[in-house]
Amino acid sequence: MKNFADAGIRFYLILVLVFLYLPILVMALLAFNKSPLYALPFEFDLVWFKALAENDRLLKAGLNSVLIALANTVIATSLGTMAAVAFGRYTFRGKTMMQALLFPPIAIPWLVIGTAMLVFFFWIGRAIGYPGIARGLHAILLGHVALSLPYVIFVVGARLNDYPKALEEAAATLGATPWQVFRRISVPILAPGVVAASLFAFAVSFDQFVISYFLAPPGVTTLPVEIYTSIRKGFTPEINAISTIIILVSMGLMLIVARFYRFGGERSGNE
Amino acid sequence: MTPTTRTRWAILGLTGPAYLWLACTIFLPIAAMLALSFLDKSPLVPKPASFTLANYGAFFGKPFYWSLTRWSIELGFWVTLFSFLIGYPAAYALAKRVKGRWREAIFLLIVLPFWSNALVRIFSWTMVLRPNGIIDLGVQSVLPGAPTVDLLFTYPAVIIGLVHSYLPYMILTCYIALQAIDDSLIEAGRSLGANKLTTFRRVVLPLSLPGIISGSALIFVPVIGSFMEPRILGGTKGATLGMNIEEQFTVTANWPLGAALSFILLAIVLVIFGMLYPFLRKQSGAA
Amino acid sequence: MSEVAVKGAVKRYGPIAALDGVDLTFADGEFFGLLGPSGSGKTTLLRAIAGFIELDAGEIRIDGTDISRIPVHQRNIGMVFQNYALFPHMNVAENIAFGLDVRNVPAAEIKQRVGESLDLVRLAGLEQRRPKQLSGGQQQRVALARALVTRPQVLLLDEPLSALDKHLRQEMQVELRRIQRQIGITTIFVTHDQEEALTLSDRVAIFNKGQVVQAGSPRVVYERPVDRFAAGFLGEANFLDGRVSGIAGGVARVALSTGGEVLTPANELGVNDAVLIALRPEKISIDPAPAGVAAMPNRILGTVSAAIFSGSSLTYRIAVGDRIFIVFEQNKSRAPLPEHSTVMLEWPTADNVVVKS
Repeated sequence: MKNFADAGIRFYLILVLVFLYLPILVMALLAFNKSPLYALPFEFDLVWFKALAENDRLLKAGLNSVLIALANTVIATSLGTMAAVAFGRYTFRGKTMMQALLFPPIAIPWLVIGTAMLVFFFWIGRAIGYPGIARGLHAILLGHVALSLPYVIFVVGARLNDYPKALEEAAATLGATPWQVFRRISVPILAPGVVAASLFAFAVSFDQFVISYFLAPPGVTTLPVEIYTSIRKGFTPEINAISTIIILVSMGLMLIVARFYRFGGERSGNE
Repeated sequence: MTPTTRTRWAILGLTGPAYLWLACTIFLPIAAMLALSFLDKSPLVPKPASFTLANYGAFFGKPFYWSLTRWSIELGFWVTLFSFLIGYPAAYALAKRVKGRWREAIFLLIVLPFWSNALVRIFSWTMVLRPNGIIDLGVQSVLPGAPTVDLLFTYPAVIIGLVHSYLPYMILTCYIALQAIDDSLIEAGRSLGANKLTTFRRVVLPLSLPGIISGSALIFVPVIGSFMEPRILGGTKGATLGMNIEEQFTVTANWPLGAALSFILLAIVLVIFGMLYPFLRKQSGAA
Repeated sequence: MSEVAVKGAVKRYGPIAALDGVDLTFADGEFFGLLGPSGSGKTTLLRAIAGFIELDAGEIRIDGTDISRIPVHQRNIGMVFQNYALFPHMNVAENIAFGLDVRNVPAAEIKQRVGESLDLVRLAGLEQRRPKQLSGGQQQRVALARALVTRPQVLLLDEPLSALDKHLRQEMQVELRRIQRQIGITTIFVTHDQEEALTLSDRVAIFNKGQVVQAGSPRVVYERPVDRFAAGFLGEANFLDGRVSGIAGGVARVALSTGGEVLTPANELGVNDAVLIALRPEKISIDPAPAGVAAMPNRILGTVSAAIFSGSSLTYRIAVGDRIFIVFEQNKSRAPLPEHSTVMLEWPTADNVVVKS
């Protein structure tokens, strides 16, 4: 009876995984199919990856996405880690309030945030005489950092909470100067959290579509925006090819994160 | 603690940059958007604008916007419901019935797509749902001669795509809540004479409620603000409030109306959080 | 080795005084226990000596030098934390070497001194282990070795044994005492475990509400508590209140408010003074009441309301009128006195300790 139930459970979980992965696998498969109309039977060909290699628009958008994601990673990880350290190591008035302020960037629909940024940046631009600065890669970067900051603060903060302040105090009683405490205790202990946070930040930016969509001026796009435009114009298998690459990059990144940062609060050694 | 001047500077120096950034990119823009929603002219028009309530009047006066809003909320409801129906059993199985390596592997596989590109995942459904797509081919091979199955550009397509996008949220939050329930509580319920179903209904379900609630909030909110998903999978069918807001900013260029609609969307979000908050608070306070 | 002197220490958190005028001197080589309920100020004092807390008023001197303005890392103290605070990213040897390393001690000397301190705490051979791979007791020893290897002037222990189970705790108490004696370092430790404080300390101080209630050798503080709090916090006590009815030959006769009389050393008492007397449960002898026996000073008749067996000893709850006396008795050959039986309680005059209420 128990085995029967277990088999049922396993079957159900596999069904859920099929639901999650089926479309992605189909898309990836069709990226290697010769027919431009997704016609079957399947015939292996790299024709769409070759077409992609010659598609300057997509490649340029891809380069923009990577550059923005890298800049976002550096900025959001540094600023977020600093804030997380302040929250983790000091008690001060307004701390709870400041931590609560991290939820709006996550909880408010991106559509609202993206359009609000557009409006605000436009007003600022007009006030200083350059309405053009409302949109562009710099504006997209500003938005991405804002969305990444809460994640960085939470991930680094979680790591910080796992390690008591007493470690740093202990180092001080042993004669370490504040700088030595930081370099020899705080940094090594925080490192896995910071690495995980930076990978999160990269993923948040690299996958971000909505904010970029509103802040991208015509002609300057990121990969998701360019893909969206192409989809709306009509299907092209090049999109399958680039999408397959994006999915692989994103999932690869997250697999690395998983090595540094346990999901779901499952601690080691409880099995 | 009374921080000394030095620690006060340290706190300011550490948190200042991040919060200044958030102020300039989230809080001030939201405030600017609120102001804009009360103006009669778009900032794109080089004429001075004046105060008006007309943008909100337009929303409350036209049944068109009401039906948009209703469909958005309905969409949110269906997506949340299906995510719960599919996700909760999966979370339960994962938290209570599967152990060790398997649990870790399946869990990772479930959260993995959730961090990959949302747009691309929605796009991938077009290849499954369209005529001559996987579902159509599957039906044809089982029932040759059956009518062509074309789900693309239908309501169900939008719901399927959104459930696919947000299901991991529900599984994740429910899993965390269920995993935190001590097995001895379930055993205690059984030892007190409750059968499996009663134990589940009276012990497991209430204790996992915070997970269900936060999962629902995490799904409902982005779904009612979605525009890209219904555009790709629903085409012209099932216009949502989100799609209309997008149009006000990109096509019609009626920014003040878009701003007002955005704030109505935000108000709906706040009402939902307000309704769910007591459940979360009550449960976490007891834990 | 060093003497630590705390004078007029005050620390406030808003309206609450965590330290409210504390004066204590820790003598050279002394093992000193700070005891009290949580929030009584004992930990605040320890952390002020370590340098984590700045006093609002008062001063702390080590060998006469005021250290109030000296930052933690220049104070030359050793500290063992409640959960040991071993650095998780370093092995045992690296943990112990840390304090020497940051002082730029030459590598050869570090190696030698780390080896010596591992011998001291009897952990030689575990140099390469990570803290996670050690048992609680081993972690404790590493933390101790790490704190001592820099040859600090003072050793501070913050509830050092609270994370260990009872058996291990007793073993570590002996170990701690041995090491402390061997080095002769002035040691200040915080605990809320009264038995631990009595076992380990040369002297103890009892804290309540930011003030030192009483300081002295464990025996004096236990046998001669100054007030109700000290008597009740350190061990158990029966409290008898009454009024002095007469004084003769250095002995005061006290009429209890619940009826009956006791005798107590008169000291500074005067006739008609209201007094509170603390009486330790193990000082009372308990026997079945012989037929026709009458109550007299320091002898009370009561009935057994409960006899609680705990292996080596018995705890009796004896009803006398509407109040309960607690009496401890060693588990000798006699069978426990039955419940509801009438018993006679007797004790010597010297054990009636007059305390402030």
